[in-house]
Amino acid sequence: MSTRTSRAILSVLIVGTALGALLFTTMAESAAYYKEVHEVMPSPEQWYGKNMNLHGFVVDGSIEKRPNSLDYRFKVKNGDHTVTATYTGTVPDTFKDGAEVVLTGTLEPGGFQVKRNGVTAKCPSRYDPDQKAASARPVSY
Amino acid sequence: MASLGSFLLLAAFVIASGAFAASFAGARRRHNALILGGLGLFHVVTAIMLVASAIMVHAFVTGDFTIRYVQHYSNSAQPLFYKLASYWGGLDGSIMFWVTLLSAFGSVAVHVNRERYRLLVPWVVATIAVVEMFFLFLMVIHNNPFSTFLATIHADGEGLNPLLQNYYMAIHPPMLYIGFVGMTIPFAFGIAALASGQLDDSWLRAVRRWTMVPWLFLTVGLTLGAMWAYEELGWGGYWGWDPVENAGLLPWFTATAFLHSVMVQERRGMLKVWNISLVIVTFFLTIFGTFMTRSGVVQSVHAFGEDRELALMFTAFMIFTLAVSFGLVIYRMPLLRSRNELDSWASREAAFLANNWVLLFAAFFVLFATMFPTLSEAIRGERLTVAGPFFNKWMTPVGFVLLFLTGVGPLLAWRKSSIANMQTQFMWPALAALAVGGGMVALGVPLWASGVCFALCAWVTTTVLQEFIRGAFVRKSATGTDVLTAFIGLFTRSRRRYAGYIVHLGIVLIFLGFAGEGLNGKLQEEVGLKPGQNVVVGPYQVLFNALKVTQDPQKQMITADVTVTREGQPFARMYPARWYFVGREGEPTTEVALRRGFAHDLHLVLANFEVGSQEVHLQITINPLVNWVWFGVSVMVLGTIIALLPERAFAFATAPVPSSSVPTALILVIALALGGARVAAQHVDQPQTVILVPKTQLEKDLQGHLVCMCGGCGRKKIGECTCPMAADMRKELAGHVAGGRSRDEIVQLFIKKWGSQEVLTEPIDRGFNRLAWLLPYGVGLGGIVLVGGVAMRWSRRRGNGTTPEAPAAVAAPSALQDRLDDELRELD
Repeated sequence: MSTRTSRAILSVLIVGTALGALLFTTMAESAAYYKEVHEVMPSPEQWYGKNMNLHGFVVDGSIEKRPNSLDYRFKVKNGDHTVTATYTGTVPDTFKDGAEVVLTGTLEPGGFQVKRNGVTAKCPSRYDPDQKAASARPVSY
Repeated sequence: MASLGSFLLLAAFVIASGAFAASFAGARRRHNALILGGLGLFHVVTAIMLVASAIMVHAFVTGDFTIRYVQHYSNSAQPLFYKLASYWGGLDGSIMFWVTLLSAFGSVAVHVNRERYRLLVPWVVATIAVVEMFFLFLMVIHNNPFSTFLATIHADGEGLNPLLQNYYMAIHPPMLYIGFVGMTIPFAFGIAALASGQLDDSWLRAVRRWTMVPWLFLTVGLTLGAMWAYEELGWGGYWGWDPVENAGLLPWFTATAFLHSVMVQERRGMLKVWNISLVIVTFFLTIFGTFMTRSGVVQSVHAFGEDRELALMFTAFMIFTLAVSFGLVIYRMPLLRSRNELDSWASREAAFLANNWVLLFAAFFVLFATMFPTLSEAIRGERLTVAGPFFNKWMTPVGFVLLFLTGVGPLLAWRKSSIANMQTQFMWPALAALAVGGGMVALGVPLWASGVCFALCAWVTTTVLQEFIRGAFVRKSATGTDVLTAFIGLFTRSRRRYAGYIVHLGIVLIFLGFAGEGLNGKLQEEVGLKPGQNVVVGPYQVLFNALKVTQDPQKQMITADVTVTREGQPFARMYPARWYFVGREGEPTTEVALRRGFAHDLHLVLANFEVGSQEVHLQITINPLVNWVWFGVSVMVLGTIIALLPERAFAFATAPVPSSSVPTALILVIALALGGARVAAQHVDQPQTVILVPKTQLEKDLQGHLVCMCGGCGRKKIGECTCPMAADMRKELAGHVAGGRSRDEIVQLFIKKWGSQEVLTEPIDRGFNRLAWLLPYGVGLGGIVLVGGVAMRWSRRRGNGTTPEAPAAVAAPSALQDRLDDELRELD
């Protein structure tokens, strides 16, 4: 191997390692847990204050809104566990009873605090293989 | 019809396998009849896919709700346009649409190149046929779009999701698909070159053109998606780093890298392995993007649900692709030796290399961050996610380095730049960047990221201008014409280089738009207002007048009536709204009220309302410089079209293009672009306009029957649209009615004036509707004729074994000439 190639490989390695290290350190700051309601709620204490994406379904009829404000309170459940979430701000069009949601925020003793713009309701996209589309596939005999 | 469709898909799969087998065997054994047979079968697949698509379109247009797919994504009340768009509204249909596009694209590519690259063509056919087989297999086994209900009968369909009933969304997927599908062609040529060992630079020429076309469509497709997000989703932004968006961006990065590095190979014979790898990786990323978004591997708000079986099939195909491709690369390594070595880091090839690394890093980073949740779950058993801000934090410096290199590359000479040379080249751009940067500091613009971005924009712009000016003057003294002629002459002489600079200018404009994100002027506020209350946001005072509830047959509309004043002057009357489509009340759509401007957009969203108390919550966003993104993309498109124009990118333009036609074409394109801009700019919301009550029933009737032709209001009826164009049309209509003309006469007058029935809300019952119904039959018939024609030609060739040689012998010199011509034109 010529010195030229080994030099090139060495510099690529150094730059690569540096970038990789940088990537991982910044990632640690920005990363958030992605959790299901039933994974968190059995022992909520250990999750208090951690950045989290919480996945679940809005409990039917649980959405409450304080009049003259954008303050929402609703329940999210998955499996047998339910958590109360509070949020202030605009909700997406798809946010409604029974919607599948991902909430970004932190768990507090009083419930799940959703960050600003932290409500993502699953967009019923053109690719939605929901129950209907799933049944649209031929049944195997 | 549905069973015919299913049968055709099966037939297409079988014939595609035949095409693969014949081409593969023919290429290996140099057996002409087999090669021609494979080619014929390949075109037959295209014909069959066209017929199958015609059947699907027919099912949508006629509303054949026995087909599950039609029932799920369409209904009888949908306008014709969205019935057609429903074809690619779901997973099964989009795969079918994908195969149709791929086979059509492949047929054209093979047909165009069949003589120039005779040795490559059978391998190209074999490669594309394998890709077709994979997707056809998916359809036949897993996602048959033609599957029908077994027992239940549905009178009507569920309709396309209201969110997708938007002009941008209807045309965005086909654009993106063409971009994705088109990347298969360069891949097929690359594999063909590897398999046949024809690794001289000639395959690159074919590949470069066929990369530029899908690259263009990918660019447009991504932009349309961003525009849709901006205008329809109502969160005030246009790019959210959603996995689906990212999937489209990944091949864009690698294709862009390839379009640059290919020049190094053409000029210096270097980077051969790198280039072929980029082509393979680009193709791989299009498949990977599809896999990522369709199989539920990555969680996304676009919600695909998990589909293990589909995921497995995709994984198998991807592993197969990678193994075969890189296996071939390793096998052909001896032929891929570099002709030259890098002479100096101060050379253009080094700049291109750096640009490639950065682009590749960008692709890698986006891929990594998108897959991070899945990766972390696999490695740590704990699902961790990263969000938009993380992407922005990383991509901002990456973008800046790219922008910086955009300004460096053109200024460096090939091989090695001398110090003196660099001084003259870099002086003006560096001065411009410093001046703008200093100005930004003086004005108090945040240095990171906007200030740096502006300085870099100045840097690149000066580079490009300097290239244009120097080039024009050199050409002026060489040819003795005036500067302007010399300037246009630059494009005839080395259109690729100068068209590339225009694309760079487009990039600069896009970055200007990005810089707006970091400016102090960007504001977003959410406020609750009662009628008569107002709020001040930035320079605007937003006064909420009233909440209106109106209805039309398709939907109920809740509209906030808002008056905006700017520094005391009346500025606009705006109507943010929410629409509730009948039958889909649970999914209201957000109708953003938008006032575009060069400096900033005012973006109003009706976030919430209470009809009882008349109270509303408005999300008010001021987005600085956004429009420069869209404007920049159109400049990029223009540049790419110029680069493609005189090349024989499409089959039929084989006649030599007289060089004088290039400026004419250029002027035409510019005129068209400007014309389009003019039309779109005509829609100005002027809600102050008083819409006079129609005097007669006929006038009222026609006001609801004619649409505003300003091009910006989404075809509102002239009785509802508030722009000046609609006012003019109403006046014209009133004149006709007063003149005592009959309804038919007036309709005819309007059609004559606007040149088509586009001016009508719905096509005339007699003529066009029948045409629309005839269209699928026509396409089907065309497909059958095509099948027949291919079959006949094919059988004739078979009958007379010597004929294939004869035309080839004639064609060879002209093909050589073409190549010579190209080589000469490339020298700049």
